[in-house]
Amino acid sequence: MMVSGFGHPNGGVMDESVAGMCRRKHQDQWLRRRLLQRQLHDGAALRISALTLRLGLLQHHAAPTEHALQDYIGELQDELHAVLEELRDVAAKIYPPLLDEAGLGPALRELAAELRVPVAIVTCDDRFGPAAEGAAYFAVMRCFAARPAEPKPAKVVVRRENDALMLSIVGVGAAHAELVDDEAKPLGGTVEVEPETPLGASTIIARIPCE
Amino acid sequence: MRVALAEDGALFREGLLMLLRAAGHQVVCSAAGGDELVALLATAPADVAILDIRMPPEPDGGLITAERLRAAHPDLGLLFLSHYAESHYLMRILEIGTESIGYRLKEKVGSVEVLTDTLNRIGNGEIVIEPVLAKRLVERTRGDKKDVVSALSDREQEVLRLMAEGRSNNGIAGQLYITPKAVEKHVANIFVKLGLHTDTAAHHRRVLAVLTYLRSQRNES
Repeated sequence: MMVSGFGHPNGGVMDESVAGMCRRKHQDQWLRRRLLQRQLHDGAALRISALTLRLGLLQHHAAPTEHALQDYIGELQDELHAVLEELRDVAAKIYPPLLDEAGLGPALRELAAELRVPVAIVTCDDRFGPAAEGAAYFAVMRCFAARPAEPKPAKVVVRRENDALMLSIVGVGAAHAELVDDEAKPLGGTVEVEPETPLGASTIIARIPCE
Repeated sequence: MRVALAEDGALFREGLLMLLRAAGHQVVCSAAGGDELVALLATAPADVAILDIRMPPEPDGGLITAERLRAAHPDLGLLFLSHYAESHYLMRILEIGTESIGYRLKEKVGSVEVLTDTLNRIGNGEIVIEPVLAKRLVERTRGDKKDVVSALSDREQEVLRLMAEGRSNNGIAGQLYITPKAVEKHVANIFVKLGLHTDTAAHHRRVLAVLTYLRSQRNES
């Protein structure tokens, strides 16, 4: 079953140059998201980490008998750790740093552990560029988030087919295909669903053009 | 202790330099990247090298630099500092070495006591793992393992978390204000309950066994 393709919502087929422009616009958005995440890491986060060191130095120079002051500095450091944890949370929602640095395999495994989803993740070492990887990551995340509380074991497979990232999500329910489509379509991708059979669970298959 | 330092963020590098000196450590060299540090360490011996993971050579220069340093100076301790505590990096770090090696969050080494404790443990051959990450690994166990871990007593769970931080029996005893003998008993109980059979006397093997248990999951490829 074809859920989406290059078809225009109004029924006609989009002019190819318009489709290309639209795709590039969405690719740029992923690049911007990655840039923002890196900016958080290299800017605010590093500054705050450096601040904890300066507080440590202050603590070292304060008189050992000043217990209240010593404790207060320790509390400030804990507070800065909490601030950084919140920044990490924001960074992960913009563009997960592990996805940026290590690719879909490690990022999806970390995500599954975080959300406690029993899932087998099969990936290759290939990199697909920030747009396709971002779209695939957030598609899987939205499927995981929408699953029932006691989910059955699922499987996610990522591989390359020529100039496309092929993403298969097995066992999360065909109803979630729309979530995957939301991420794949803006980049010119397509989504298909293989319904559940006596032999196996339903599978959502996305084809996302990549670098 | 003689310390070498590589970190590309100048603000953090300078802060760490000052804290290290205040703690009485000797900073034998400091650099903004891995290649520079490798060159400096050829002539300036150190006990521990502190490495930022995300620095030149990009993307994760700290890991590449560590591999080169381990080959050139097998006795040099390695402390990785990062803005992120990820089990993915922990596993890569433990592939580089399982002795005299550590991984901590940048904002968590900001006191003379913690910094010195971390460096001393690495200097003594231990594995040091960021407590934030060790805690997360213990809390994130799933399925059958979650049941096993939650069936441990509160004290045993504390001991498990400290084992996952890489602490020795004496270290755990010091943290929990109990005797090393009592720790030994808890550790033995935990190993029986988790079904782990390993030589608990070998520190790094024990840490690896615990981490492997906490990280592995059914279905993982």
